Amino acid sequence: MKTQLDMDKIARGLGAERRGKVEAAGGYFGAMQLLADIEARFRVPAGGGRPTDPRWTERRLLPLAPRTLKRFEQLASKVREHGGVSIEPMQLAALLLEKTAEDLSEDEAEELVRPKKRASR
Amino acid sequence: MTKEPTRKPARKKRTVLTGGRKRVLVVLFVPSVERDGETTIDQDHWVEATLEMFGRVFGGATAYPKARGIWRDDERGGALIKDEPVVVHCYTTPTDIQDDTNLAELGSFCRMMGREAHQGEIGLVVGDEYFAIPDFAEE
Repeated sequence: MKTQLDMDKIARGLGAERRGKVEAAGGYFGAMQLLADIEARFRVPAGGGRPTDPRWTERRLLPLAPRTLKRFEQLASKVREHGGVSIEPMQLAALLLEKTAEDLSEDEAEELVRPKKRASR
Repeated sequence: MTKEPTRKPARKKRTVLTGGRKRVLVVLFVPSVERDGETTIDQDHWVEATLEMFGRVFGGATAYPKARGIWRDDERGGALIKDEPVVVHCYTTPTDIQDDTNLAELGSFCRMMGREAHQGEIGLVVGDEYFAIPDFAEE
């Protein structure tokens, strides 16, 4: 019978982040196999911090409306909960920026920044 | 007249299968180097401290001989980082691992090791999930 554990409660109690499922087995070989699995999948970048995309080498300040940040927090929380993937709100924001930047045409970009005409009263 | 089949009295469920048995595996990784990947830490001290903590909080643990690993750090120009972590196994019960006091003590120990051994983060496994503690601020 599989043990039912409240992983969110455990994460809160430890002050930890849930990173994903693993197959943990007992004994020496189980220990070594688990270690190899974790080192391959969850390796921390040198200098500390959470695992991230090594191509993200540039950092800029990004002004956000509070409701946008709130939305990213909600989305990241849902992804963590349902997808089993640990992601922070601004990591999700960076992913969205990357995807949108690839898809957006020059005309669409121009349209986005052009001041909207106000409806006349 | 047919003879009624004699019923055996129902056996009491063995509580050992439902609550008391230690069936949750907790694994803590004791690092060999600091976050720079080069400066060695007093690993024996931290293995001893980990065993002592697990013994006190959950009733026992086993430290396995250190493994040797190597990995390429692409964020530092492909530098090869060698580490020799010690894997510590502790079996406990669902009740004990979800106890607030026990969790607080385990979390506090991990943060202390993270701070004093200058780690990027401390990793541990509970059941079938990997947890990471990247923030070592004292509570």
